[in-house]
Amino acid sequence: MISCARTRYHNNGDEKRELLSSEVTKVWSRVGGGSGLHTSAPRQEIRKMARLRVVDNSALGKSAMLEGRPPKCIHIYNKRGVGFTGDKVLVAIKGQKKQAILTGCHQDQKPLVPKFDSNNIVLIDETGSPLGTRIHVPIPTMLRKKLTDMSRPKGADYTKILAIATRFI
Amino acid sequence: MALPRLQFITHTMKNLSIAPVCVSQVRAMSRVKRRRSLPPFWWPKSTRTMYPEHITSQNEDFLLDVVEEKYSSPLKVDPWERGTFKERSMRCGLIARKIGIYPMWTKDGSRLLTTLLQVSDNHVIKYIPPEEHIVHGLKKRYRELGAVVVGADPIDPRMITKEYYNIFSETGVMPKKKMSKFLVTPNAKLARGTPLYASHFRPGDYVDIAGTTIDRGFQGVMKRWGFKGMPASHGVTKSHRRGGTIGSGGDKARVLPGQKMPGHMGRERRNLRGLKVWRVNTQHNVLWVNGPAVPGGVGSYVYIYDSLLPHRKHTEENHPPFPTFFQDEEDIEEELYDEQLHAFHLPSIQFAEK
Amino acid sequence: MVGVGARSGAARLFGVLQGLCRETWGCQARGVATRASTRVLPFIPTQDPDVIRKVPHDFRVVYPEFLPNPVPEWRNRLREKIERKDMLARRSNMPIPEFYIGSIMAVTVADPNAAGKTNRFVGICIQRGDSGLRAWFSLRNVIDHQGLEIKYEMYSPLVQNIEVLRLEKRLDDELLYLRDALPIYSTFPSDMETEILQEGAPVPVNPIKVQLKPRPWHERWERKNLQGVRDLGLPERFYKKAKLHEKPWEKYDLMKEYRATIPEEEQADIFREISSHYPLLESTRRRGKRKRVLPSLS
Repeated sequence: MISCARTRYHNNGDEKRELLSSEVTKVWSRVGGGSGLHTSAPRQEIRKMARLRVVDNSALGKSAMLEGRPPKCIHIYNKRGVGFTGDKVLVAIKGQKKQAILTGCHQDQKPLVPKFDSNNIVLIDETGSPLGTRIHVPIPTMLRKKLTDMSRPKGADYTKILAIATRFI
Repeated sequence: MALPRLQFITHTMKNLSIAPVCVSQVRAMSRVKRRRSLPPFWWPKSTRTMYPEHITSQNEDFLLDVVEEKYSSPLKVDPWERGTFKERSMRCGLIARKIGIYPMWTKDGSRLLTTLLQVSDNHVIKYIPPEEHIVHGLKKRYRELGAVVVGADPIDPRMITKEYYNIFSETGVMPKKKMSKFLVTPNAKLARGTPLYASHFRPGDYVDIAGTTIDRGFQGVMKRWGFKGMPASHGVTKSHRRGGTIGSGGDKARVLPGQKMPGHMGRERRNLRGLKVWRVNTQHNVLWVNGPAVPGGVGSYVYIYDSLLPHRKHTEENHPPFPTFFQDEEDIEEELYDEQLHAFHLPSIQFAEK
Repeated sequence: MVGVGARSGAARLFGVLQGLCRETWGCQARGVATRASTRVLPFIPTQDPDVIRKVPHDFRVVYPEFLPNPVPEWRNRLREKIERKDMLARRSNMPIPEFYIGSIMAVTVADPNAAGKTNRFVGICIQRGDSGLRAWFSLRNVIDHQGLEIKYEMYSPLVQNIEVLRLEKRLDDELLYLRDALPIYSTFPSDMETEILQEGAPVPVNPIKVQLKPRPWHERWERKNLQGVRDLGLPERFYKKAKLHEKPWEKYDLMKEYRATIPEEEQADIFREISSHYPLLESTRRRGKRKRVLPSLS
């Protein structure tokens, strides 16, 4: 619930303000209870069950974000189990399984790699072709190299998503 | 039970006049004495108890004049012939102090951490030819090697015992705090009193470094051996950082030697192989070696050797200054950088358009 | 010139030795005889009031990365000296201007993946840290409704140019709360022009009070005693809990402050060492006539 509300905020360019305020009150009342748990600082890692934000204009992605049920990561295609910028992930979206590329992470990054306020993904199919036609959110330039390196062993071309990007940071 | 093939720790042997340490299995490591609190009994006692001697200031000035006169002129000895490099030659190493770590960048923009090692006032104390260098149990191929004893960091002669002082009496240099023996081939012999500088190594050379790790004191199994411990809650009683079971039960009916338990951690000798020398400063005698992992804290001594790694062997076409770089006789630039290293006085990196 | 202390030549032996130990090892040098006593004194920075006075008072805030990390286990005077020399060499190639948390900056980096092989990013400086060659800062901006932050290492050779578009300070030391503030407060146009200040004018302090979004936040801002945010509008129990977590005794903890800072005399010594580079450093502190007033966002 809480992560939904946060995702909503970052879509505030497109979302209705009524929806925003109602979600806010829900969050408020829930958190107001206070369980008194002592927790460590969040690492903001992309692991299984992480909620992600679709940033392309595919119909599937848009409808999922609008509904308030953002895609959930169910597998990360690397050996570490933690997703970084440029990694391929498998997400569960509207009852379907789809592959996606992480184009931006909320986690602190190395120098010169941008850190985003939300965990952004672009939906793709097995061959690496994106489902949408445009990405309106900035993309890191390091994806160019990372996706090229990823494409070689797999036989798929993950660099196709770079063609639909509007801005590189 | 037949023991598997034995391994030697060669650099340990180079440095100590004790029997070489042969270890085979991890469990047998507990039998190896890893640190000693006192030096071997045959070593001369170096420092002495200082008593208030109530020396007048005039006498003290006189003493300093005497000492200065003694060490101001170099030893009058015939210079030794300098050997030439041949394949499988081994030259001496250096004693340095770790002074810090800072980042540097390569010409393609990638960042690396480098450890700064200051070669503090090294001099050759003596050379022991192979015939005289007798170490009990030395393997056959090491019996053709001589040894060069190198000293680092001067110490006030008044603080040390006569016995220790006599070691340096024929070198023409001030007594040293730290000494080490380096096995060398006879063609790499060096005369007493020869100064050794950081220019002994060039940028692009690979070195092995031996040092004593930081003393961490008595540590528990989690820090010492990397045990996972037990959960903080869910009914675990009084065993959150403990080792758990120590036996396998049944036939063995005892705790096997080498069982990992809490104990003293650190202050041990460790070797690092194949560290690249990225940069050399000949004015302050500082080496920049790859990585932050040189054993010991800032201010500790390390021993630097040419790398033993088989793919880092020197060849006749490309070998470091042999037997050493005589900086007093030859000119050298103040700062030497590896080819791939981005020196800070160079302009910013700009990638070329294809 | 030969290595330090290698030749016991013309210099007085113990003077050289003492000088060697003092220069390279500072307070760790012990047990070397001197004229007056049998023990060398620990490293004592200059007490000369003339030197202390001559150092510009704001050097420690303008060039904070020249001051070393105060942790004594990692300190070594020679290494710090060599590091400062390297920093000055880098600065002579790529001048680093004066900036503070809250200043709006543009950084151009060499990027093999970008068009034209360079990449320019404009943003507000929200954090800076570390000393020496590790010094870094972080810029934040909101582009296409997406909040972005990039961390830059100041002495990396990939950084080609650092411009300060608007030189100002804020009321807080760190602006991490901008992540939880309304996006308007972190949005800056990429084609922003440089705003130049009047020669000799003090660095302006922007008294802006930012409005935060409703909770959840990244941190408990009510506990951080922030000056640059508006009334958080939280129930009373949050402030009560915050009061329990306050540490009012820290301002009286002299040892804590001592351990976290380099003594003033030593700072003067450090800046005296780099004084020959003052003209180069000062020339990058550009000042001119102020062009426009900040828009109010109240």
